[in-house]
Amino acid sequence: MAVKIQIRDLNFFYGPAQALKSINMDIYENKITALIGPSGCGKTTLLRLMNRMSDLVPDTRVEGQVLIDGQDIFEKSVDVVNLRKKVGMVFQQPNPFPKTIFENVAYGPRMLGTNDKQALSKIVEESLKKAALWDEVKEMLNKSGMTLSGGQQQRLCIARVLAVNPQIILMDEPCSALDPISTLKIEELMMDLKKEYTVIIVTHNMQQAARVSDYTGFMLLGELVEYAVTREIFNVPKDKRCEDYITGRFG
Amino acid sequence: MSKISDSVLQPGCELRRVYDGFWRYAIYLFGAISFIILLLIALFIFREGYPAFQKIGIWQFISGLRWDVSDQAYGILPMIIGSTYVTIGALLISVPLGIFTAVFLTDVAPQMMRSIIRPAIELLVGIPSVVYGLVGMLMLVPIIRQSGHGSGDSVLAASIVLAVMVLPTIVSITEDSIIAVPNAYREGALSLGATRWQMIWHVVLPAAKSGIIASIVLGMGRAIGETMAMIMVIGNSIIIPDSIFSPARTLTGTLALELKYAAGLHWNALFATGVVLFVFILILNSFGFLMLRGKNK
Amino acid sequence: MSSIKHSMKKVGVLLSSTLLLAAVILAGCAPASAPVATPQAGELSGTINEAGSTSVQPLAELMATAFTAKYPKVTVNISGGGSSAGVKAIAAGTVDIGAASRDIKITEPDVIPVCIARDGVAIVVNEANSLTGVTIEQVAKIYAGEITNWKDVGGNDATITVVSREEGSGTREVFEEYVTGAFKKKIKADALFFDSNGAIRSKVASDKNAVGYVSFGYVAGLKTLMVNNVAPTIENAQSGKYPIVRRLYFLTKSVPSGIVKEFIDFCRGPEGQKIALNEGYIPLVLK
Ligand SMILES: Nc1ncnc2c1ncn2[C@@H]1O[C@H](COP(=O)(O)OP(=O)(O)O)[C@@H](O)[C@H]1O
Ligand SMILES: [Mg+2]
Repeated sequence: MAVKIQIRDLNFFYGPAQALKSINMDIYENKITALIGPSGCGKTTLLRLMNRMSDLVPDTRVEGQVLIDGQDIFEKSVDVVNLRKKVGMVFQQPNPFPKTIFENVAYGPRMLGTNDKQALSKIVEESLKKAALWDEVKEMLNKSGMTLSGGQQQRLCIARVLAVNPQIILMDEPCSALDPISTLKIEELMMDLKKEYTVIIVTHNMQQAARVSDYTGFMLLGELVEYAVTREIFNVPKDKRCEDYITGRFG
Repeated sequence: MSKISDSVLQPGCELRRVYDGFWRYAIYLFGAISFIILLLIALFIFREGYPAFQKIGIWQFISGLRWDVSDQAYGILPMIIGSTYVTIGALLISVPLGIFTAVFLTDVAPQMMRSIIRPAIELLVGIPSVVYGLVGMLMLVPIIRQSGHGSGDSVLAASIVLAVMVLPTIVSITEDSIIAVPNAYREGALSLGATRWQMIWHVVLPAAKSGIIASIVLGMGRAIGETMAMIMVIGNSIIIPDSIFSPARTLTGTLALELKYAAGLHWNALFATGVVLFVFILILNSFGFLMLRGKNK
Repeated sequence: MSSIKHSMKKVGVLLSSTLLLAAVILAGCAPASAPVATPQAGELSGTINEAGSTSVQPLAELMATAFTAKYPKVTVNISGGGSSAGVKAIAAGTVDIGAASRDIKITEPDVIPVCIARDGVAIVVNEANSLTGVTIEQVAKIYAGEITNWKDVGGNDATITVVSREEGSGTREVFEEYVTGAFKKKIKADALFFDSNGAIRSKVASDKNAVGYVSFGYVAGLKTLMVNNVAPTIENAQSGKYPIVRRLYFLTKSVPSGIVKEFIDFCRGPEGQKIALNEGYIPLVLK
């Protein structure tokens, strides 16, 4: 089993406030890794470090390393723009651009220099198929992405990420704004995606983590308290705090 | 436990309904008053301009090349073209510059610079029109003259002066609409590997489109209506300009120059010019309005 | 709900368009109330109605303001209409004073003209211009576009920037009457036009190839050209030697009396003539 991401002694600060405390973690290729924990424990912060979206917040500081395929992504020579093309992200609130469905998906490839209409059409179709949205939207590719339902929008955002051909997909509570049926669809999709991609998902829905993930990390107050195969975490948690949280006796 | 009817059927409700009703009618009344004032102004302009259309002929008036009061020749085509050129020229300068400045202020400039540039631009609004005209006349026009293209009084000079005057309108409205673009779009673009510039160009500006169009329409309205500064730098020659260095005359410029002591047909012709201007601006604003509405859908 | 907002927006479009335009137009709109003559003899109170030449109008307005400031019980209404209308109005008795910026023609009704000032125009160039004088014909040709280079009138080799006043300007009327009109020529359409003596002065002062014409009071900072070998001085204008001068008249139907007489005397007296001088007119020779 190959390790895709290695996190080594990672500390992160928002100004003086430490949000992550010496995180160590190996994330495996072609698996779904879930991050769980109470609100404010640092899940989003950790996730956004992996494609350096954390750069957008001014006055922050990173210590330690995040290695992807052995390369420290915080090294000066690393180009964030290329990094983000390899490490895509899906947000909590679906955020399709105010463009057509087609243009939403074609946005990434266009940026990469693909302008040929046919090539774009092919990429768009493939990506939408992979995101399990094609059948629903193939007749209306020229409609605004904003006209879709929340669940469809979220899958559109996933298709948008897939279109730039990433290796890792980060998802920050991708279903928290969705109804149960849409949630189920996204979960099925994730199971599909892990065949090709490494998926990391932040969720506060324990059942979801249990259902879809292969590995689960439990975080508390900026620390990675326990990290193991999902089955173990949910059946035989080693840490008392983790057990409390999972059994619902906590927060 | 009190029943719901206790609170929804309170006696105060009646009073509040009267109060609401009062304000509703007051608002209608104010709306009606402003509409009537508007109508009266329009009527006045049309009434004064009508004899000119009658005596000269609408088409001859609009397409006539000669404006010669001593000959009773009244054709305003040169002015229509002059106004159009100057407006387009001003927008060609101020729109890119305004959008660039707005983007700079919202997405690029550090807080320090922002707090200097923004008030400086807002200050431009408060400067009287005549001051722009004077600066244009005493600084800009001589520079253009020294470049060896005629007297300096020109479409170019007028466009530049106007551009500076409409810049604050364009910057501030564009800025507002850029700020209103949800951060999620920015993050979405960046997370796909967009550079900052690609993000702004492909996502932020298109998302702010309706606001930007509004700013352009408003800027254009100001550009067409602006007179005092204009007549000081455009030369006011009654010719169709053949280059940006050529002098020209605008519709409003003609009114401002000649209305003061005009009489008879001359007076009517000037009001007829006002009618043309009125229609001009009405079309423009409606166009902008339709565009705004189309984009908001 | 949406329909209310919708229609209000439409009104907004119409409203903003109109207000914009109205602001432009009203800024230049002169009141044109019909004067009714009710002269009241006796002490200085009552109403004087004046109408006629629009060239006299600005001067008459200033004189009236000064007069009513001195005699607050008097109201003076000044309106335009043109010189011909002024003659007709006074002949018909619809006003107390008419105004004309030209001599009364033989075909016109018999009225009494009283000169209140002279209106003279100086031909001006940039101080860097080497020229000292021109003929009226040369000026007429320059303004008609027949002469376009200074070297053709004895100056440097440079294109002439022709600067004129706007249509309706009294100064322009004088210029057209005694310069371009005298040679049956017209000011060319591609001249530059400005709407005040001050603007012409700024323009000519900053452009070394410019030629313009201004009222005598606005020549500071400019070089005036001798016209047909006569310098544009107040003395030359008063003596009639300088050619580009016209008289401005008040017209009455009979020998003025009462407040009409007081007002005309005031205008022709030191106070009125000081205003005339300040405004760039040539004052009367005061005894
Ligand atoms: N932009 C920010 N600036 C300052 N502090 C932040 C910022 N974002 C998050 N934090 C803080 O960092 C901690 C972790 O937040 P976050 O990663 O969003 O937690 P989670 O996603 O697990 O709810 C919280 O204490 C939060 O207040
Ligand atoms: Mg979070």
